[in-house]
Amino acid sequence: MKNNLKVLRAIKNISQEDLAKNIGVSRQTINAMEKGKYAPSTILALKLARFFEKTVDEIFTLEETD
Amino acid sequence: MKTLFLFPNKFKKLGWILFIPSLLSGLLLFIKGIDFDNYFKMNVFAFYSDQFLSESKFFTIIENGVLDEISLVLIIVGALLVGFSKTKNEDEFISKIRYESLVWATYLNFILMIIATLVIYGFAYFNVLLANTFAMLLFFIIRFHFMIYKLNKSSNDEE
Repeated sequence: MKNNLKVLRAIKNISQEDLAKNIGVSRQTINAMEKGKYAPSTILALKLARFFEKTVDEIFTLEETD
Repeated sequence: MKTLFLFPNKFKKLGWILFIPSLLSGLLLFIKGIDFDNYFKMNVFAFYSDQFLSESKFFTIIENGVLDEISLVLIIVGALLVGFSKTKNEDEFISKIRYESLVWATYLNFILMIIATLVIYGFAYFNVLLANTFAMLLFFIIRFHFMIYKLNKSSNDEE
């Protein structure tokens, strides 16, 4: 699964730390998601979508291998 | 996030305080070959006892040095608190790392157990069983904290 969290974060000009605090997760989690190392739970995906005012599939997209 | 079966974060520190000293002192006494059963001798209740050269008994009172029992209980309780208290920033990703570390530690523990069973014989095998009482928890704790450390390092490099 790919995501454009890093881009969205850059547009909003918010640090990993601040995003993490806002969503209620650790900074490592944001970092791991941006690197594609961690696929978040549905709840976390929805929280991110709400924060960025996007739908979940505007942020996350399936890949061939998924 | 809702987490099942984990202790609150404040128990982690208590866990370290119990775990590290009892593990180190236990190891030291073991390496020096000191007979644990000569320390803190007292009468204890035994559900079952079959001490060397005496008959086996159920529900009895025996005299026993309790240093080894105390050490082992402290090691295990400490290790459980360290391994299963929430981290400061516990979230779903940390929980996933915890779970994966536990699986990893279980495999490592039982692979070592199989190897030890096949190549270690006699009284030495008793020591293997003794170490095995807490070895899995130890592997889990090391793996879990190593993964968190690696994660912190890689995400600090990032920004």
